[in-house]
Amino acid sequence: MIAPRKRAGRPDWLVIARRELLERVRTPWFIVVTLLGPILMVALVVVPVVLGRVGDQTARVQIVDRSGRLGPALVAALAAEKWRAEVVADVDEAELLRRIKADRIDGFLVVPPEAPAGGAFVYKGDNASAEHVMRSLNHVVYGVVLSARGEVLALPADKVTALLAPVDFTTRHTTGDTEGTSGLAAFIVGYVVMFVLYMAIVLYGANVLRSVVQEKTNRVVEIMVAAAKPRALMLGKILGVGGVGLLQVTVWAVMGVVTINQRGALLGLFGVDAGGWSVPPMAAVDVAIILAYFLLGYFFYAAIFAAIGAMVSSEQEAQQAQTPVILILVIPMLCVQLVANDPRGAVAEVLTQVPFSSAILMPMRWSLGGASPASVLVSIAILAASTYLVARLAARIYRVGILMYGKRPGLRELWRWLRY
Amino acid sequence: MSAGGLAVRVTGVTKRFGDHVAVDDVSFEVPVGVIYGVLGPNGAGKSTTLRMINDIIAPDQGEVELLGGLRPGPEAAPHVGFLPEERGLYPKMRALEMIAFMGELRGLAPRDARRRGEAWLERLGLAQWRDHKVQDLSKGMQQKVQFAATMIHEPELVILDEPWSGLDPINADVLRDVVREQQAAGRTVLFSTHLMEQAEQICEHIFIIARGRKVLDGRLADIKRAAAAEGRVALALQAAADHARAEPLLADRGLCAAVRPAAGSGAGPGLELEVELAAGVDAQRLLAALCGAAVALRRFEVVTPSLHQIFVERVGREAAATAARLPRGAA
Repeated sequence: MIAPRKRAGRPDWLVIARRELLERVRTPWFIVVTLLGPILMVALVVVPVVLGRVGDQTARVQIVDRSGRLGPALVAALAAEKWRAEVVADVDEAELLRRIKADRIDGFLVVPPEAPAGGAFVYKGDNASAEHVMRSLNHVVYGVVLSARGEVLALPADKVTALLAPVDFTTRHTTGDTEGTSGLAAFIVGYVVMFVLYMAIVLYGANVLRSVVQEKTNRVVEIMVAAAKPRALMLGKILGVGGVGLLQVTVWAVMGVVTINQRGALLGLFGVDAGGWSVPPMAAVDVAIILAYFLLGYFFYAAIFAAIGAMVSSEQEAQQAQTPVILILVIPMLCVQLVANDPRGAVAEVLTQVPFSSAILMPMRWSLGGASPASVLVSIAILAASTYLVARLAARIYRVGILMYGKRPGLRELWRWLRY
Repeated sequence: MSAGGLAVRVTGVTKRFGDHVAVDDVSFEVPVGVIYGVLGPNGAGKSTTLRMINDIIAPDQGEVELLGGLRPGPEAAPHVGFLPEERGLYPKMRALEMIAFMGELRGLAPRDARRRGEAWLERLGLAQWRDHKVQDLSKGMQQKVQFAATMIHEPELVILDEPWSGLDPINADVLRDVVREQQAAGRTVLFSTHLMEQAEQICEHIFIIARGRKVLDGRLADIKRAAAAEGRVALALQAAADHARAEPLLADRGLCAAVRPAAGSGAGPGLELEVELAAGVDAQRLLAALCGAAVALRRFEVVTPSLHQIFVERVGREAAATAARLPRGAA
């Protein structure tokens, strides 16, 4: 008997994981997408604001003042918002619509004869779908009408101003444990985390599947199973692809947080004033929870995808076979509102304990403060146990399935054996 | 590595796929340091056997032991190199990376794997292609990369499944040289093929398998000698008159078991013959009888059959026997 050789190098799964990671990370495509992602994020913040301002400056509005009182005040107030407004003679609506069609104006505002006491103001224009346009128009009309009513009631101008002084009103999200954060910010963070987890699981899980199928179609799987156990193959592939995902998502997350927190400075570069909120500070435990769910959730689904990849022998078959898994993945997306509206409710509790949805929904529920640490621990334990189980089953399917393709005699027998 | 040890011992191995018995109670032994050919027609169970030796599939019954006591699997993997019938490489990997990667899977340290990979590329004349992607190489070059990936870790046991199928003559020679080098370095080479010419040129030992069963195994030289002793004579007669005089002797079933026209005979009908002697009859007796009958001979030769002939005959006989057994079994 010969002396067994010692392994001098890395274990199989690591050699394989490293190969999978390098093959993906080295492509120009990866570098472009990773760097372009944050640029897109910056663009998402800056472009709407800049475009919005450009739009405001060129808005041309005609006012048909049937009350005969409010026209000049509206023109002045709109001018303060950088609209170009003018009072025109009362014509019928068809003529005004023709002017919009001819692009001579962007829109027209009809002031009712009953104003300011009553009546309905109507604005029609090509910019009426922009939310900020409607907000500032509403603000202007409201202010002018209230001032006019003040005059009718013989209130002095300074009292009207005092009456119209803005009310400082904010909402804070809290479930009693923490001091509370901006409700909007907490929801957005939770939502973004959920969406990123969902995207990462779908994209990289499907990547595992595709890469298993490709190994089968170019037959490289034969030399691989001769050199390494199928379990090491599967583990290495899942870890390698997952590493790519983790790297990419981390780069994006860091750049995304920086972008949002530096939003003021960024928008300042474009001469725009940034209002409001920043990303609420995240504790290490929050990051740890997001990371744990990303890793477990990814591994859970990636193992399922790997097993599916081993069972099929072409990309087309793979498309069909993965549909049920994608459907299962979509369910938590559809249940987002259930968790967001009542993070402490029973439905949210169930959805964040079931392994198929917990990875996607629990980080969001946690960031909304809806989950107790105990609930998170139980959920992680359930997810970890299910992941282990799924990985074991997937490895078994993988072991048999990976060599099944084509023409070999006994293929159908193998398939039958696999299902039993 | 002990001289005279066994590189592979397969004992009573059976593998079924559903109702189909792919390998049926097969046993053989491969001594260390030989070139051993597993021969058989398509679907005979060659690949299944090699896959069991490589722990890609597990036998239903029986045992496989490698290199004097190792079980197939992780323990043996660093000592074994396997070239599967279905070749495949990662198309996006560079040639050197691909080879070194396989070396690492077989337990080499990364730096060592790279160094040996470079040496192999040099040896196979691919040095300037080391940093090219596999998909950019020609088919022949890809095959060489595949050989290198199989042997980079200098395995004591090299297993090649149909290594010559799809090779051009030049690469077939390269592979033959590589196989001989491996043997010269004291390693064992086990391969399967259905190409008898390749096997005859290179094998010392053969194992013939058909329909999942062993037909024959042993040293090629012994098998050939035995086949020759079974008595086969190539005969060329001078003229038609000689054929007439020889006729009674050739028809004598006590002397000749079978007579058939030799393959590719051009000297006229019935003048070139191949004679299978009856059991217990040696060639000298036929020669004496022919001389006694005044048959003029152009040629009288005791034939050593080619491996091809032995193969066709033995596998054909086996197939015939199986076919004869089947109806009774089915009824």
